[in-house]
Formats: sequence, C-alpha cells, structure tokens
Amino acid sequence: MSEVKVPAAAVSGRSGSRLLSRLVQQRATLFWAAVVLLVVLAALLSPLLSPHDPLKGNIREGLLGPSADHWLGTDKLGRDVLSRLLYGARVALLAGLEAVGIAALIGIPLGLLVGYLGGWPDRIAMRIVEGVMSVPFLVLAIALISVLGPGLTKSMAVVGVVYAMTLLRLTRGQALAAREELYVDGVRVAGAGDRRILFRHILPNITPPLIVQVTLMIAGAIIAEATLSFLGLGVQAGQASWGSMLSDAQASIRESFFLALPPGLAILLTVLAFNQVGDGLRDLFAREAKGGSLGVNPVHHESGSGQPPPPGLVAADPLLRVRDLTVSFPQPGAGRVTVVQGVSLDVAKGEILGLVGESGSGKSVTAMSLLGLVPDPGRVAASAVELDGRELTGLSFEELRKVRGGAIGVVFQEPIASLNPAYTVGDQVAEVLREHEGLSRAQARARVVELFEQVHIPEPDKRIRDYPHQFSGGMAQRVMIAMALACRPRLLVADEPTTALDVTVQGQVLDLLLELRAETGMSILLITHDLGVVADVADRVAVMYAGQIVEGGPTEDVFRRPAHPYTEGLLASLPRNVRRAGRLPSIPGVVPPPSAWPVGCHFADRCPYARPQCLETPVELSARGDDRATRCVRAGELTLAGVGDVPAAGEPLPPAAGRPVVKADPPLISTRIEKRP
Amino acid sequence: MLRMVVLRLLAMIPLVFLVATGVFFLGQLSDVDPAENIVGPNATEEQVAAVRAELGLDRPALEQYADWLSGAVRGDLGESLYTKADVTTSLTQALPITLSLTFGGLLVGLALGVPSGIWSALRAGRAGDRAVSLLATVGQAVPGFWLGLLLIIAFAIRLPWFPAVGYVPPGESLTGWLHCLVLPSVSLGLIAAAAISRQTRSSMIGVLQQEYVRTALSKGLSKRRVVVKHALKNAAVPVVTVVSFQVTTLLGGSIVIERLFAMPGLGALAINAVVRRDPDVIQGIVVLTVIVIVLVNVLLDLSYAWLNPKVRSL
Repeated sequence: MSEVKVPAAAVSGRSGSRLLSRLVQQRATLFWAAVVLLVVLAALLSPLLSPHDPLKGNIREGLLGPSADHWLGTDKLGRDVLSRLLYGARVALLAGLEAVGIAALIGIPLGLLVGYLGGWPDRIAMRIVEGVMSVPFLVLAIALISVLGPGLTKSMAVVGVVYAMTLLRLTRGQALAAREELYVDGVRVAGAGDRRILFRHILPNITPPLIVQVTLMIAGAIIAEATLSFLGLGVQAGQASWGSMLSDAQASIRESFFLALPPGLAILLTVLAFNQVGDGLRDLFAREAKGGSLGVNPVHHESGSGQPPPPGLVAADPLLRVRDLTVSFPQPGAGRVTVVQGVSLDVAKGEILGLVGESGSGKSVTAMSLLGLVPDPGRVAASAVELDGRELTGLSFEELRKVRGGAIGVVFQEPIASLNPAYTVGDQVAEVLREHEGLSRAQARARVVELFEQVHIPEPDKRIRDYPHQFSGGMAQRVMIAMALACRPRLLVADEPTTALDVTVQGQVLDLLLELRAETGMSILLITHDLGVVADVADRVAVMYAGQIVEGGPTEDVFRRPAHPYTEGLLASLPRNVRRAGRLPSIPGVVPPPSAWPVGCHFADRCPYARPQCLETPVELSARGDDRATRCVRAGELTLAGVGDVPAAGEPLPPAAGRPVVKADPPLISTRIEKRP
Repeated sequence: MLRMVVLRLLAMIPLVFLVATGVFFLGQLSDVDPAENIVGPNATEEQVAAVRAELGLDRPALEQYADWLSGAVRGDLGESLYTKADVTTSLTQALPITLSLTFGGLLVGLALGVPSGIWSALRAGRAGDRAVSLLATVGQAVPGFWLGLLLIIAFAIRLPWFPAVGYVPPGESLTGWLHCLVLPSVSLGLIAAAAISRQTRSSMIGVLQQEYVRTALSKGLSKRRVVVKHALKNAAVPVVTVVSFQVTTLLGGSIVIERLFAMPGLGALAINAVVRRDPDVIQGIVVLTVIVIVLVNVLLDLSYAWLNPKVRSL
C-alpha cells in the first residue's frame, strides 16, 4: 500500500455533536427530510387543503385538463385529481406506517429473543425466515392476501409480516454478535442484571441499522401499497390511492395521458425522499470509504533548481536518473500537501540502491511515481526521470505502458494480495510476455516454466496451473519476481519485498535477488524500512525522512559513520545493536503527517542534537567527503555512532558529540538466518 | 461440482414442502369461503353446503392436505374450483410468459446496469459518476408499473412502435414475440438495472483499490484490460448476489407488469385466484415460483465457483 495517509479533517467532540455537525454537512439529506415532511403535512392536512371532495365528481366534467378550479384536472368520473392526490398521500403514509409498525413489532422482539436464546429456537426461526424470504415478495403477499381477503388494512398487514422477516434477521444477527462479545469479555450472562447489560449492549449497536432499514422499508411499503391498489388488492374501488389512480389512468390512457403523471410523480418523489433520507442516515452512521478509479498518474515535467545533487546520490553512469521529484496530494481544507519533496537520486547500472525510511517517509510513493502508479488524486512532477537515457517525464499512460513490465519490473510487499485471486499464476505471468513480447500461448507457457525454474519454484510445470491462494507467501513472492523479470527489465523496483515474509524466507528471497542481479546485470531499487536488508544486499543507500532524502552514500560507509542523526537513530534501533545495549533505543515519536512538516529540518523535533537554528530555514542536502550527502546543519560538528559503536550495556544512548569511536571492524549485521546453498 | 448441484437440488425438497404446507394450512384459516363465492350472494345455507360437499371442502383439513400432496408428488396440482381447469396445465401455459418477461427484464438490467456501474466506478466522485448515481437512485424509486404506463403512452400510443398490450407466443411468430416483450422487459429491467448499477459501482470501486490491480497496471497492461480482465471478475461476486435478489424481485414484479400489458402469465392467474380464493391455483403458483427461484440460485452458485477459485477447491 502507499504510505501516504492524508489525515482526515480533525474531528473532535462527543459523538452526538459530531453526528449533528455531519448532518448539517449533509445538505442533501436535510433537503429530502424536508420533502418527507411536506408529504406528511399534505397527508395530515388533506381535508383542509383539498379543494374538492376526492370521492365525488360530476361525470360530465370528466377528463378536464388543468384549470384554475382543478389545478391538476379531473379524472374520467370528473373527480378532482389534486384532491385525490392529497388524500392518496394519507393512504400511502398510513399504509407505510402500518406495514413497518407491524414489521417492527414482530421482527425486533422476535429477533432479540431468538438471538438471545440461540440453540434450537434460533434454528427453527431462521429456517422459517429463509423459507419465507425465498418466495418473491409479491407472490407471498398475494398468497397471504388470498387467505385474509383483499383490502388495504389486511394487505399492508401482510406486507408488514413479510418485512418482519428482514428485521428479525437483522436484530438476531446483532443480538448474536453482542452475546458472543459478552462471552468473550467474560461477562456471565445469567440473571436479570446481566440480561439488562446484554440489551444495553445490543440496543446501541442495533439502533442505527434499524433506523436506516425502517426508513427504507417505509419507502418499500409505499410502493407495495401502490402496487397492490393498482392490482385491485389494496384500497376499495373508487377510494383515492396513488395506485388506484394509476389504475384509473390506465383505463383512460388513450384519451388522456396526463392522468398518469401526478400519482406516478407523487410516488416517485415520496419514495425517493425516504430512500435518500435512509441513505443519508447510513452515511451518517458509517461513512463509506471514498476513492476508486485506477491509480494512475503520469509524471509531469517541471523545471527544477538545476543544481546537481551532492555526491552520494549520483552515479557516474546511471541507469536511472531522477531529479527534483515531487508528489503532492489534495487535502480537504488545506490545499495540497507535498508528501515527496524534491527527491534526486541515481541508480547505477547493475547497482542495488537501498531506499530506507520509516512508514510515512515517502519512499514507496517515490518508487511508484516513477511508474506513474501513484494513487489517483496525487500529482507527480520532476525535472527529469531518465531510464537509460530516455526521458520518462511527460509520457502519457499509453507511452509508459511499454516501460512498465518491460524495462522496469516491480515487486510489491504483499505477494498474495498482489496476485489476482481469480486467475492462475501461470496465466498472470504469461500475460506480461504476451503483452510485451507478443508470444503465443504455448511460447509464453514455456517461458513461464523457465522463469519459475529461474526463481526456484519447485515443479514449475504443475504450479503454473495453481491459484495464488494455493501458494505460501515466500513462493508467491517468487511468482511476483518471475513476473517482474519476465521481459528482462533493466531496473527492478522492489517495494518492501521481504517485509510480509517469515524471517527464514526473507533471507532466501534476498539471496534470490542477488543471484538474479548477478545473472542479468539488472539494477535494483530496493525500498525497505529494514536496515538489516539494506546491509545484506545494497551497494548504496539513500535514507528518506518525511518526504526528503536526508542522507546518501555507500552502504558500508553510511552504516559505519552515519552523517545524519536520523540515520544514527535508525542504526541504534537495529536488533543487533539492541542486543548488545540490552534495551530498545528507538527514536521517540513518529513521522509527523505531511501537513505538519516544518519549514526547517523535518527531523528536528525528534532529534537529540537539535538546536534553534535547525528550525529556521529549509535545510539543503550538502556534500560530505567525495561520496556522501547529508541534510543536517550540524553535519560538520557532529560525530555520530554507527554500527560497531555500541556502548557497553547500561551505558546511555545517544552518544555525546566527540565520544571516542570503537575502531574494531565487526561484520555488518545480517538478517539472514539461513542461506540457501 | 456435480455433487454440489445434486445436494442443492435435494435441499430444495424440504423447502418446497415447507412452503407448500405453510400456504395450505394458512388457507384453511381463511374466512373466505370459495363455496359462497361460487353459488353467489343470494344462495341459501343449504346450497352453499351442497357446493362445499361437492368440492370436497367439507372434508377434514388433513385429509384435503394428504389428497393434494399425493397428487402434487405425481405432478398433479389439482384443479381450479371455478374454471375446473387443470392447475398443472394452466401453470405450464403461463410459466413461459412469466419467464420470458423475467429474463427479458434481467437482460435489460444486466445490459444497462453492469456497464454503467463500471463506467461510474472509473470516474468515482466526478460529474459522470454523480449523474449515473443520481439516475440509479431515481430508478430505484420508480414503481415499475408506472414506468410501464409511461412507456405505453410514449412508445405504443404516441409513437406506435410496439404493441400496448397482448402476448404473441414465439411458436406463432418469433419477431412478434420479441416485439411484444420489449416494453414490458424495459419497464421491469430499468429498475433492476438501477440496483445492479449501484452494486457494480461500489464493488468495482473496492476492487480497483486492491493491490493486484496495481500489479496488473505495473505489468504495462492497457486500462481496458486491467478493468475488464483483472477487476471485473473479482468485482462480479457481490454483483451476482444482487442479481439473484433481482431475479426474485423480477419474478414478482412481472405479475404486475403482466397485468399492465394484459399478458396471460402467472400474474393474471394469481390475481384472479386471490380475489375469489382458488386454493389449488395459489398453491401451485407458490410452489412453482419457489422451484424456479431455487433453480436460478443453483445456477448462480455455479457462477460463484467460476468467479472465485477458492470456492472451487473447497
């Protein structure tokens, strides 16, 4: 996953006032609630509002168009349409309330009861619910109405009984969940007092979904009333209901089509209003995650500072050359936040560059932006992204396609989640070959078997027919590597390739990467938070903190003699050093969110060496020696502890400036527990 | 796979039995007496009793039930009290009409709902998405029979392109059959399309955030291929669930639509049977719809297995 976490707008206060403030934001819900209110008022006041008797009309004044006397005209029997419409609102709402009331009275207590009792009462009740719900609603209603006989009250009672099944199931599910929770918490459910606890647990959980469900059910019941009245199974003939009005309208459809409009629109508007209020309430209680669309973003070309980056980040004959890479995301209420700030680095041919940092440092976003795979609202710009001399900035999605999976292969953190569960792994690897090299099905298959052999997957010709869920994490990562290598890329981007794997498997995967680099001569951009991994395989290292590169140089030098306090802190938290020191000296605090990054040194508030001048102006990367770079104003005066500089147990960390350095030369730490022959 | 199908079909038997039994005994509780309906309001008590005896309605409920059940297992669902028509025959004549409408509606629902949901998901939050979502929301609030009425006004009366009412069997004229199905299928299908579109959109949005979609993009595939091959198949499972609900809704909805378009399907049969209480006919209709729905659900379960390899290997 990308590490960019755009912080949600700060929400404070008690949950009640939060709901209220959210509700005020939901203008649309308020609007539809007002529509519901209008319909309710129309129904309540229909005797006062109606200009005419809804049931009586002069047949000689039938089928009149809208006029001053009859705003919506008259029907075939000369009855006033507006009056019938207003009385129809009364029928519709009463029907809705009746059905939902019955549903609630039957469904909620029964659901609580069977959920609470569990065992056989629950099984029997659920079997009945299943049976009832397997019959189409209307067929069931018709069958039951045949028992009770037609008529609005009876029909809506039937609708209520059918709806009760839904409420029963919902309540029962919540009751069961609450009960499980209580057992887990060790609360013994016995006696009235505990029962009260149980219901106190259930009711807060069940109320929001029930309110939503009931609102939507009223809408459903209004349609049901109209449908049954239309069929002649609801209100008595002649009575004003939106459904029976539509039935009358159908009878005179060839003479006047207008009659079909008012009752239909009335139903539509009322049902829509109830649905919208229900949806709004649902959003209020549980906000749906927004997002979507494909995570693709081209790299825009923007001229940068023109200054070459300091040594340590540049290479003489680079395969990949990145200059002034910036990634920003829009943030509600704060314009845009920049999550990657002016990153410049080179990866030499055949080199492994380790890009290191905590989560939130921007290292993964940096790597994904090279491929145009930054999630959607993000914006990526750079003055140069060159791969083997070819400029990638300004290329469109289509133009970048040849590069993705071709010249650049990618391996992600979660191998199983990164493979599509619906297709065989063989198919997914072959797809790259068919896309980029136009191989036939059989050729691609043969090549996939070769690739699987190359990454040491046993029995490759069998395994290509397996699905991702049939693989262990380590084997799935080998599949991902095979996929990334399929078109012999010049650069492999490996984004935390071992983080999700067991320690033993981590070592094997790293060995595989080294072996493949030796075989193919490709370069690897290795993104990781694990300095042990870097120590094992990287030739050079670039350390990122809060969107900036803070240090760069050859791995061995950086590890032995870090030039930035952040690097020192990272090295001090390495397990090997910790073991010697006897405690876990990790850097206090976390990477602050991008919106909180200061103008000056981003690390200052966590840095033990910070001075007031650190916060004043932006700190630039500066050269240190002829192959190092660091972003620290005190770089010249500090002597920081690296690997091997471990104080004796009990001695305090961090070390003071000028402390003598242990000159011994122990091997660099290794995470590898076991090596493959 | 075959085992699953057989098990599902066997599991259907108790369900059908339960539903049929429930409907039968509920009917016994009714205070509507078919015999009174038949002899008319002015008949004497003796005349009603005579008719009741003649129809066998005076027998004990269990005996009537056993009689019905023993016929039902042999495929004889009894006969109408009023028309004396054989229920099995009436149902086999009416079912194809209702099924044509149901599947016509489903076709319209899928053809509109799935592409619009995908289209909407790909531009989530933007104007096009909001327009489709609005249409879908409105679509879910429209009563199907009103939509049908408007379609009749527009495309049968104003523009006489399609017949307003009536049914032409495919055996008589294939084009006539298709022709008469267009308007009712659209009135049924637009509402199904709204539900399918909403579900497709939301599950597509979920899938597009999955890591394997990013992997597919990192392979250099075209957007079209990423969406159609990698995302859609995974997004389809919840959509299929909604489709199975929709089949049930469509089957019920076609009752009203049949009435509107004057088609002699199960709907016409059902409404007449309800108004005057014709127990065997009602029972037959309920049993038949339950069977149809269970069969449809077995088919949908098979599609789950195709869509999700994990289900297959269980």
